[in-house]
Amino acid sequence: MTTPGPHPPGPPATGLPAAGPDVPTAHGDPPAPGSAAAPPANGEEPRRRLHPLSPLLHGAKSIAVIVAALSWQTLSQVGLERFALVVLVLAVGVVVFSIVGWLTTGYQVVGRELRISDGVIWRRNRAIPLERLQAVELRRPLLAQLTGLAELRLEVIGGGKTEAPLSFLTVREASTLRERLLALAGHTAGGRAGAAAQPAADGPAAAFEAPAVERPLLRVGNRDLVVSQLLTPQAFFLPIGVAFVVMQFVLEGSWTFIGIASTVTAMAGVLLQPVRRVLQDWDFRLARDPDGRLVVRFGLLETRSQIVPLNRVQAVGATWPLLWRAQGWLHLRLDIAGYAGEPGSGENKRSDRLLPVGDFATARALVWDVLPGVDLATLATSPPPKRARWLNPVSLRYIGVGLTPEVFVSRWGLFTREMHIVPYARLQSVRVVQGPVQRLLGLATVYADTARGRSGRAKDRDLAEAWVLARELAERARQARQPAPLTTDRLDPSAVAVPAAGSGAVNGAVSGPMDGAVNGPMDGAANGPMDGTVNGPMDSAVNGPMDGAVDDSYWRRPEQT
Amino acid sequence: MNEPQSAAVDALEPWPDTVAWRPVSPKLITVELIVRIAWSLVLVAGLAVGWALQGHWLWRLGILLVVVNAIWRSFVTVRAVRAWGYAERDQDLLVRHGLLVRRLSIVPYARMQFVDVTAGPLERAFGLATVQLHTAAAASDARIPGLPPAEASRLRDRLTALGEDRAEGL
Repeated sequence: MTTPGPHPPGPPATGLPAAGPDVPTAHGDPPAPGSAAAPPANGEEPRRRLHPLSPLLHGAKSIAVIVAALSWQTLSQVGLERFALVVLVLAVGVVVFSIVGWLTTGYQVVGRELRISDGVIWRRNRAIPLERLQAVELRRPLLAQLTGLAELRLEVIGGGKTEAPLSFLTVREASTLRERLLALAGHTAGGRAGAAAQPAADGPAAAFEAPAVERPLLRVGNRDLVVSQLLTPQAFFLPIGVAFVVMQFVLEGSWTFIGIASTVTAMAGVLLQPVRRVLQDWDFRLARDPDGRLVVRFGLLETRSQIVPLNRVQAVGATWPLLWRAQGWLHLRLDIAGYAGEPGSGENKRSDRLLPVGDFATARALVWDVLPGVDLATLATSPPPKRARWLNPVSLRYIGVGLTPEVFVSRWGLFTREMHIVPYARLQSVRVVQGPVQRLLGLATVYADTARGRSGRAKDRDLAEAWVLARELAERARQARQPAPLTTDRLDPSAVAVPAAGSGAVNGAVSGPMDGAVNGPMDGAANGPMDGTVNGPMDSAVNGPMDGAVDDSYWRRPEQT
Repeated sequence: MNEPQSAAVDALEPWPDTVAWRPVSPKLITVELIVRIAWSLVLVAGLAVGWALQGHWLWRLGILLVVVNAIWRSFVTVRAVRAWGYAERDQDLLVRHGLLVRRLSIVPYARMQFVDVTAGPLERAFGLATVQLHTAAAASDARIPGLPPAEASRLRDRLTALGEDRAEGL
């Protein structure tokens, strides 16, 4: 392989021949115990390249970045010809570099691993165990759409960014590979290894029949989408921002093209978010594929289609923005481990939408579909004790937590109301934190951590209640993890059930040998003081005053199936 | 209805009957004190140089503040180290720490991704090590400093064994 680019003699000595399509990676063959079971045809599969057009597409992207980086200022300083020359030289360099990159990039499926090797100067050869696969996304930026290509992005746990984007493949190749990876990821080693190998043998034909039997779930109307984005603070501020800029120019009287262009560019970043949202969420569709996985498709300029196995959903978040309340709309978010972009950063690049905008009935049906058995309408929460008012003077009414048989619910927010739903089976750890002021008031906050970084949060609970909550969460998480038999190594019968301080009448309804059910009066609830309906033999049920609650699922133990 | 409510309502002592807390080594106090004193000395030295060069009374005030702060924090350190504790239960590891902000973490063994055992130079000199349990959630906070090396490696081995036993990934 003679590569025109710089090729340092040192690092590539990992035993990796630069390209050579059918040379197996000499570096890391031995692992993958699962590959032993795979048929020989599968094991010795040749390393594949990305599509030959990908260097050009990459180059185009980089050139756009370069032009943006050089900015208008440079253009005005050096003049148009020089500017064009600089861009041209850089463009040629970028394309050459991309071609070298393309030559050195390859992927292959070995057993239950996907191996990707890439890098020009620092060679990298990584193996991705497919049982760790969280979701697969197929992205098609505008240029890729024009050329019939697609980028395949795998989401695995660990690392701040999306690992291993395979860009670009033909759409057919990409969706075949995706089907195959998901098939490999979905089956446990012992279970359906034969079935897993099947799609590989059948090739594209089998993979392409799959989408035909998808069950569509919903489609978000583009009109609703546009209206919803007009109802955002940014959209309201846009006219003000424009007026401000225009005023400035009028007052200063400097109407240079460069000045205006720079200002507009700067403003676009902040104020045009609604527009980007609309472009991104355009034609949002949800479906279930034959294997029960969630298929999400959206985007106008860059279309994305992601497949998420339902058991990879870490949490679901619902948001009711203030300005959407007249319409009764809400936004649903899907938390999946490994998604690029931590909360806050890269808001636009994230693809974690479950429902960009929709009414309550839609959202309710959707949540029921994603988290079976969870009804958004009956997620009762109870507020923290009254004395938490010192810490939450305004928003106390809107804080609350609830435990249903399947999920931990927390909600908060005065203007933008939010709700966070964490299935017990996805809990990573439970924390109880008590700050100094909370200690004075006898309060504590309980966190239910999930792999995504956002935690369910029971803010400012009574301390005793917090302990019960923490124990209950840990216990339920344990049982949700191992649904098999109900083991007997329980904790001590010290099931402490403490009334939430501040709630009045306490009527303990004890039904099991270790049960303690404490029910406070519910204000605004349909069924008055509840009788502690307890299923498990070790329940502790504590009900504070419930605020507009409609069912009694708070604190109830999950049904043993 | 059980009675231990009043007993249970302590930020550092949940479920006193079921959980046997284990303290960290008191030698950690020495380590922390040395670190604190070293830092204070550096600060004081810097301020003293400033005082010698300029002679403004603010420098003296600074030195006084650093010293007072160091003494105060030393007392806090002693109590803070005593407040660290961990407990191994059947299914999960409990770690509690903090005086001003009190924290308790419950981390199931099944959720363990990996275990770190670290020991800095000063910790090594006193024969201590830190064990940290990592889960897929960045927020999980299960760090136990000030363990004797034998205990640290025992804990590590036990955590790893239990983690393998009940591993479930995500």
